[in-house]
Amino acid sequence: MQLTLLCALVPLFPFIGFLVNGLGFRNIPNSAAGVISTASAVASFVVSVLLFSNFLSGGSQPFTAVLFDWVSVGGLKIQFSYLIDQLSLLMLMVVTGVGSLIHLYSMGYMHHDEGFGKFMAFLNLFMFSMLLLVMGSNYLIMFFGWEGVGLCSYLLIGFWNKNVSYGDAARKAFVMNRIGDLGFLIGIFLIINTFGSVEYQQVFPKAVELFKAGDSTVFWITFCLFIGAMGKSAQIPLYTWLPDAMAGPTPVSALIHAATMVTAGIYMVIRSNVLYTLAPDTLEIIAIVGLATALFAASIGLFQNDIKKVLAYSTVSQLGYMFLALGVMAYSSAMFHVMTHAFFKALLFLGAGSVIHAMGGEQDIRKMGGLQGHIKITFLTFLIGTIAISGIPPFAGFFSKDEILMHVYEHNKLLWALGVVGSMMTSFYMFRLLFLTFFGTFRGTKHQHEHLHESPLSMTVPLMVLAVLSVFGGALGLPEVFGFNHQLANFMSPLFEHSKTVNALVGAKSALPHSTEYALMFVSVMAVALSMTAAWVLFVKKANVPASDETLDGMTKVIYNKYYVDEIYQAAIVKPLYSLSEFCHSVAETAMDMLVESTGKLVNVAGNGFRQLQTGIVGYYVLAMVAGILLFAVFTLRSVLF
Amino acid sequence: MVQNLFYFLTFLTLLSALMVIFSKNPIHSVLYLILTFFTISGHYILLNAQFLAAVNIIVYAGAIMVLFLFVIMFLDLKKESEQHIPALAKVAGVIAGGMLLVIFVAAFKSMQTITPDEASFNSQIGLVTTLGKVLFKQYLLPFELASVLFLSAMVGAVMLGKKEEGERNTF
Amino acid sequence: MLSIILLSVSGIASLFLGFNKSRSLLMPATLLFLLVALAVNLWDWNVPFTLSSAYNNGMMTVDKTTIVFSAILLVSALLVIPFSQNYIDRPQAQPAEYYAILLFALVGGIMMTAYDNLIMLFVGVEILSISMYVLAGSDKRNLRSTEAALKYFLMGAFATGFLLFGVALLYGATMSFSIKGIADYTNANVGNLSPLLYVGIVMVLIGVLFKVSAAPFHFWTPDVYEGSPSLFTAFMSTVVKTAGFAALYRLLAVSFTGLYDYWAMSIAVVALLTLVVGNITASHQHSFKRMMAYSGISHAGYLLIAVTAFQNTSQDAILFYSLAYSVATIAAFGVLILVADKQQGSEDFSAFNGLAKNNPFLAFVMTLAMCSLAGIPLTGGFFGKFLIFSSAFAKGGLNWLLIGAILMSAVGIYYYFKVVIAMYIREGKTEKIALTGLQQAAFVLSILLTLLLGVVPNLFADLV
Repeated sequence: MQLTLLCALVPLFPFIGFLVNGLGFRNIPNSAAGVISTASAVASFVVSVLLFSNFLSGGSQPFTAVLFDWVSVGGLKIQFSYLIDQLSLLMLMVVTGVGSLIHLYSMGYMHHDEGFGKFMAFLNLFMFSMLLLVMGSNYLIMFFGWEGVGLCSYLLIGFWNKNVSYGDAARKAFVMNRIGDLGFLIGIFLIINTFGSVEYQQVFPKAVELFKAGDSTVFWITFCLFIGAMGKSAQIPLYTWLPDAMAGPTPVSALIHAATMVTAGIYMVIRSNVLYTLAPDTLEIIAIVGLATALFAASIGLFQNDIKKVLAYSTVSQLGYMFLALGVMAYSSAMFHVMTHAFFKALLFLGAGSVIHAMGGEQDIRKMGGLQGHIKITFLTFLIGTIAISGIPPFAGFFSKDEILMHVYEHNKLLWALGVVGSMMTSFYMFRLLFLTFFGTFRGTKHQHEHLHESPLSMTVPLMVLAVLSVFGGALGLPEVFGFNHQLANFMSPLFEHSKTVNALVGAKSALPHSTEYALMFVSVMAVALSMTAAWVLFVKKANVPASDETLDGMTKVIYNKYYVDEIYQAAIVKPLYSLSEFCHSVAETAMDMLVESTGKLVNVAGNGFRQLQTGIVGYYVLAMVAGILLFAVFTLRSVLF
Repeated sequence: MVQNLFYFLTFLTLLSALMVIFSKNPIHSVLYLILTFFTISGHYILLNAQFLAAVNIIVYAGAIMVLFLFVIMFLDLKKESEQHIPALAKVAGVIAGGMLLVIFVAAFKSMQTITPDEASFNSQIGLVTTLGKVLFKQYLLPFELASVLFLSAMVGAVMLGKKEEGERNTF
Repeated sequence: MLSIILLSVSGIASLFLGFNKSRSLLMPATLLFLLVALAVNLWDWNVPFTLSSAYNNGMMTVDKTTIVFSAILLVSALLVIPFSQNYIDRPQAQPAEYYAILLFALVGGIMMTAYDNLIMLFVGVEILSISMYVLAGSDKRNLRSTEAALKYFLMGAFATGFLLFGVALLYGATMSFSIKGIADYTNANVGNLSPLLYVGIVMVLIGVLFKVSAAPFHFWTPDVYEGSPSLFTAFMSTVVKTAGFAALYRLLAVSFTGLYDYWAMSIAVVALLTLVVGNITASHQHSFKRMMAYSGISHAGYLLIAVTAFQNTSQDAILFYSLAYSVATIAAFGVLILVADKQQGSEDFSAFNGLAKNNPFLAFVMTLAMCSLAGIPLTGGFFGKFLIFSSAFAKGGLNWLLIGAILMSAVGIYYYFKVVIAMYIREGKTEKIALTGLQQAAFVLSILLTLLLGVVPNLFADLV
């Protein structure tokens, strides 16, 4: 009973924070509003920790906290209940932990904004929805959270709504998410229809009983659910909203569009791992979509000049890796990467926010440079984040990414090779970002130079905490090859009980010999180091700065300081890469956008057509009605007449 | 006797109905229409449906036709005005009328005459008493509620028709 | 049953109250009448009403379903009335008549929910329609209002003709006006039904589908809803629609269960057409009120899905959806009435620009109403749609319709959020709008109902 209360409290705190700030944001002073919402986030973090320790001491038994009977239609009874198990606890820790830090950070970052109270209220509402999403014990609650986070994301992207393009970005995010949500909803209805229930703990055992792997019913269910995941977790072709979503305030990008909401799709797949294991075809699709997204987004990220855009494409690409892991049934590795990614990507975004803060709102890395001396804490933490995401040992990103690549190697060697190429690109664009921002000479205006300053403590403390997590986060899942017990995988293994009965590969220990594992690691580390060096040569040693948009030939400036070797290097590697990146960015992405937007256009055109039917002349209406009546009568009477 | 009366009434009905169509003066037309209604009521009486006959006269001849007359007089339609009817409308009219004729012919062709069953035939069925009994017993509730309908319509008519303060009189 | 008598009498009483020079008594009195009627209506919850058979003679049934439907009508009316303040404050207003006609209209509505006899259905439809024709034109100085009344009347009379003709044909085929009698006939003569019956069903369906503004019989709706005073538009789009669906479902469920295969496909096609026309046209409007008219059409489409599904859960779904829809619609129209009054009568989306700045409460009410209409979770509208979709899924074979409906509900979100964007994002000036206590109460009640329906739907879904 007490446990139920604790469970109820977790989402309740942010909700109360939302109510207080949302209803009274005109009357509550900014300082109080910040404290209230941060306190509510921290409170739910504390309760989550309590729940976690309770869970461990109670022998790791899953626990369902039933709050009340929710809906009963016919034979279908749905309870409003939370499920506390390994997966939801891990997600809880990430959401409330990282969430609290970002709340704290926002107090510093958004303090001068006139809508501060409203902003904090939205953040709290987001936390509430996200907690519903991960804690719910059935698909319906998950859907509620799913919609809720979408709505908050919409509100927060459009938060600085004075700017019209920001409003457009918000709308785009909303529309694309809706397309995904439709798939998700249809998936839920299919589940109801097939299993007569939406409770995870009823659906999964039944799925194993009823279906064999490869059944088409399960394929459609999982495929529809995956469409939902594509929208929410920004996979091809529904990903273009995420880079645009960077129009929102930076803490929002960190919390929603890097650490938590966008991982909802991965959470959902891990949650439904039984269903997915039963549908190998869907898994294949997921792996391909994931890898394609990873490479595609990384290649676009190579030559972006907006600090947040680079991070956004990087997020899309990392999400692609997670889906790749899911596609090869490495569910716990995907979760591992979700967690480490939450740490370092939140860190990077918050660091970027700190840079933008210092630069007085400038986001173009071509106008930065040499910041390392001015904002030391930001620089150091950003450096840690960059190393972590690039996958350099022993930082967090190395372990999680390497685990994924290892599983991929077992599954298919071509996919693995492509994955390594992707991680080379990752390290290239991340170090390019780092070097252009913090190294070299300052390229901004004099005014900006004078105002360079480190951010307040409320912003740097979260940076430091996240930096520590990014360094040591890998400890959660130290691999066996180094003589450790993979703690995370062991912890999560009960989640995959049912899947294991379907396919013994799920959660199984790697069958690769240790020497192969070492070799794989070596290859990927070397690849990463190579591209890091390339970035160093290009942007520090040669101090190249990407040409500004006005220059017609983008490469002229890059080839400014030429050596013979350099030219070959440029012609052989950089130029093709640049063209590929440009192509992906301008042509392919536009095409995908148009595909999605043409749907909207179609609606518009049709709407206009229908509108013109409504002429306002009664005689015409009567005529139309008579025609309608005739059609209706003939159609209805067709069985009698013919 | 009854048969002669029937033929006489039928002759009168057809004649006045034709006159409705052929008379040039709209007021004459309306008057002929009233005559038609009276003769049809006569038919009802012959069929022992007294109530229908009365209602037919009260509602159609009494109320509706008077309304027609009013409208015609308001609009001053005495003068015959040659209206131009587009050729398409004429063709459409002919087609519609022709189809109606086809339906009538088809209906008459498949018509069967039913002789009433002597045993169960109730000659009193069209009388006011019988109707009243049904109306005030079985259908009392809808009958009463119909009064709400009329009341609502009446209140509405008064409300819409009442001259508002400061309203310009358009007539 | 008793509530019908009570409402008729209180309608007359309110006419008499109109003799009083002071108008301040009228609204409270009407609300009181409605509350008493609601109480009396719920009084029969556990004791099925059996007055002497002289009155009831198989004319109407009072059971839980009809009580809940009537209660939805009465609650809708209760929520609408407080927003009549601005309208009756005009010097040329005739409040006693408005209220009397509204009360009479409710009599018609309740008859439509509880009829057992087609005569009752017809009289009910007529009472409701004639009252609405009058109220649509009650703003006599406004040309659009008069136009709306005339259009509504012409088209409505046309549809009534079909309804009546259909009733006559049904009688001709089955020798009965009673819906149970018709059911007995159809069950007894399976495979040997008179063609008159089939034609009769088509005509009655056309009549009723017209009243609930389903496509392709919807052409009157946008013009009439837009032209009528917003107050009565709110009434029309909630009370008339709910009553219409109660009537439609009752007729089909009692009389024509056996003929499901005959009518279901037509209704399904009409449902899809209604959804497409309603949602897609709504997305292309500049006027909020006209958008709401199309939104009303689209919601008729969702309700028709439940009719097509024809499961044992369908009726609950219709009840739930009607309630959620009515409450949200009235809240939206309430805000519209107050805002338009301050914006020189403008009912465009632009009238809402920047509303949130000075009227956060109104903006919040509107947002919640739009979320509910769009079917966003945690509002009543979501579960309304959920119940309807799941009953249709349970039926099976309707997947094409459902996928269409789910797609269209995505379009819905686009236009419902237009007003939310206008309120929160666009710049504009709206001065503070003062609310009367009753209006506040109505808003609060509608918020509470919407949220309760969305968070603990079982409270309501269990009722029937």
